[in-house]
Amino acid sequence: MAIIQYSASQAGCGGGPAGSIPPNVPNPNPPVELHVCMGLNACQGHDRFGTNNCAGTGYCATAEFHVCHTLNNCRSQGGCGLFGTAEEQDKPGANDCSGQGSCAVPIQAERFSTMGENAGRSTWLAARKLFEERMTKAARRSIGSAPMPCGPTTAWLNAQPGGFGSCGSSGSKICSFGFNDKTTNSQELCEGGKISEEWAVELRPAKHHKK
Amino acid sequence: MFNYELFKTETEINDGNFGDALQQALEIEIATIPVYLFTYYSINRSPNQTAISSALITSFMAGGMGMEEAKTKALEMSAEVMVFANKAGALIMSVAVEEMLHMAIAANIKQAYTEEGPQIIGRSPSSWPAYLPGHDPKFPIDRRPLSHDQLMTFLKIESPKPFAEKNLKTTVIEYKTIGLFYEMVKAYLTAAQPPCDGDKPQLLKGNGYYAPNNIDTLFYNKEHKPNFVNAEDSGDLVHIKNAKTACDAIDIIIEQGEGNNAPGFDEHGQVNCAVYDGDFDDKSKSEVSHFEKFSRVYCQLRRLTEQFEQAGIDEATFQSFFIRNFKKNPSTSEYPANLQALSTLIDGVYSYIFVMIENCYRKTEHTQYEIFMMGVHKSMIFILDWLCGTINGYTYTDAKTGVTYTCAATFQDYQFGLMSSPKSQLLALFANALTYYPSLSYMQVRFDSLPDVSL
Repeated sequence: MAIIQYSASQAGCGGGPAGSIPPNVPNPNPPVELHVCMGLNACQGHDRFGTNNCAGTGYCATAEFHVCHTLNNCRSQGGCGLFGTAEEQDKPGANDCSGQGSCAVPIQAERFSTMGENAGRSTWLAARKLFEERMTKAARRSIGSAPMPCGPTTAWLNAQPGGFGSCGSSGSKICSFGFNDKTTNSQELCEGGKISEEWAVELRPAKHHKK
Repeated sequence: MFNYELFKTETEINDGNFGDALQQALEIEIATIPVYLFTYYSINRSPNQTAISSALITSFMAGGMGMEEAKTKALEMSAEVMVFANKAGALIMSVAVEEMLHMAIAANIKQAYTEEGPQIIGRSPSSWPAYLPGHDPKFPIDRRPLSHDQLMTFLKIESPKPFAEKNLKTTVIEYKTIGLFYEMVKAYLTAAQPPCDGDKPQLLKGNGYYAPNNIDTLFYNKEHKPNFVNAEDSGDLVHIKNAKTACDAIDIIIEQGEGNNAPGFDEHGQVNCAVYDGDFDDKSKSEVSHFEKFSRVYCQLRRLTEQFEQAGIDEATFQSFFIRNFKKNPSTSEYPANLQALSTLIDGVYSYIFVMIENCYRKTEHTQYEIFMMGVHKSMIFILDWLCGTINGYTYTDAKTGVTYTCAATFQDYQFGLMSSPKSQLLALFANALTYYPSLSYMQVRFDSLPDVSL
C-alpha cells in the first residue's frame, strides 16, 4: 500500500509527512470541507481521519458515505460513474447540489464512468483531475500525491470501518472467468486507459438486408 | 390499462380518435415495462462458475474424457455462460431503459396535443396475460423467466414486420406492428397538423432525466472487459413543439424498437440469427434495435443449450445455473404473509413511479426536476432494485401445486386509495414490510425523502 510521499518543495504542505497509515478512527473534529474521496482534500487535516498533511494527500472522503445515484447530501458530495447522464458523470465530486451526484462515495479505484467523455475510464482519475484544476486555477495551491495513485482500492475500502458499498447488478469489477488476470483491468484504468468496448460494433460489418 | 375493445372498430387515426390513439401509444409502451423487468430479474447475472464447471467436468469424465481435457473444456464453456448470463441481463435492461424513454416521449406528445395530457397512473397491466392494445394478431404476454418462449414473445412485441400467429383468435385489426401504428400517428400529424401546445410541462433533455447507459446495461466479456450495449447517439428526450418534432420523436421509438427497415423474422416465422444493416438503430452503428437485441439473446441461448445437451447436461439443469425458478404470472396475493408484505411494498414502489411521472406533467420546472431526480431515479435505481434483490433471496411453496419457487417481484399495479396521500400509503406499506424484514430499516430515510405527490 502506498503511503504519503512528502516533499519539502511542495509549497503549502506544512506539518511534515504523516509517516504512516492513519488509525481507523474518524476525525473527532469534523473538517470544514466535505469531499468525496482519497486525494481530493483541499487542506491539511481535512481527510476522514484528520491526519493528512497537505492538499491532495488525504486518505478518505469526509462527505457522508452513500451507495448510489442521487443520494448525496449536498454540493460536491456526490461520487460519480455507473449511473447518471454524461453531464453528471463529467463532474465527479463537483456536482452542484444535493441529489446530483451520479454514484457512490467514496470512489473506488476500480470504478469507471459509463457515460460521456470519460466513459470506460477511471472515475477517480477524472475526479482528481478536476480537483487539481481547481487547486491550480482558483486556490493556487500545490498538492501532494494521493496515498494511492488511482484512488482507494476496493480491498482497502472494505477494510475500513463502516465498510463500503456501491450499486449495480452487472457483477464484480475485479474478476476473472479464467481468461484474464484479475488485476489487469484495474491496472489499465490506473494508467488512464479506456477499458470498455461497444458491444454492437462486433456485429459489424453487417450483411445487407436480403430482399 | 386502455380498454381497446372500445376502440376496436377504428382502423385509422382521425380527428375523433387522435387523443385516444396517443393514449394507446403511451399504454403500449407502459405494457412492455413490467414484462421486461420481470424477465430481467429472473436472470442471475453472476452465476457460480465453479458449480457450472464442476457439473461439466463430471459429465465429461463420465463420458470417458480425461481430467485435463475435461477441465479445459469446462472452463471454456462455463466462461461462456458467465458472459451470456450477464449479457442477457444487460440487453434486457438496456431495452427496459429505452422503453422508459419511449413512455416519456409518448407522454410528451400527448401532453403537447391534448387537453387532458398523459394518463399514466394505473395504466400498467392489471391482469395477466396482458395484450398489447390493438395489436393484430392478439398474442398473450406473460411475466415469465427467461426462456426461448419468452424471448419469442419479446420478439413479437418488437417485430419490425407483421407476423402470422396461428391457433389464436384474432380480434380487432388495429395495427400489425408497433412501428406501423406509430406510422399511422405520423401520417395523421403530417396531414392534419393538429394544434400543438409545446409550452406545457414535458420531460425534456438536458435535465439529467435520461441516460442510455449505466452499470446495469453493460456486461463483461470473456476477458472481463466491460461492454456497453447502448449508444449515446441512439436517441434522447424530445421537446414536442410541432408535427415535425413529434414525428422525429416517433422515429426514435420506431428505430430503437424495430431498427431501420430490418427484415425481422425469417420467411418461416423463425428467428433469423444473421445481422443486417437495418438492425442498427443509430448513425454510428453502435447499437442494435430491441428486436435484434432479443434475437442475439435467443440465438445464443439456443446455441448454448445445444452445447450443454451435447455435453450431457439437459436444458433444465443448464438453465438452472443462471435462471431463477420463477412461477409464471405470480400474484402477490398467493405469497405467504411475510413475502406478501414485501411484494406489496414492491408493487407500491413500482406503481408510485408512475404516479410521480404523471405528476411531472403537471408541475413546472424546478418541482418537476425534484420529483424526477429525487423520486423517480431514487425509486428506480436504489429502492426498487434493492427490494427486488431482497425478494429474490426467498423461496415459497405454491399452495395449489406444492411446487417450490423463487419469489419474484410481481410488478402488479398497486391501486392507491383516495383517502390519504399515495406517499403516506407507501410509507405504511414500508412499515408493514419492516415488521417482517427489520433489516430493511436502512431504507427508511430513502422512503421518507421521496416526493409527496398526488393522484
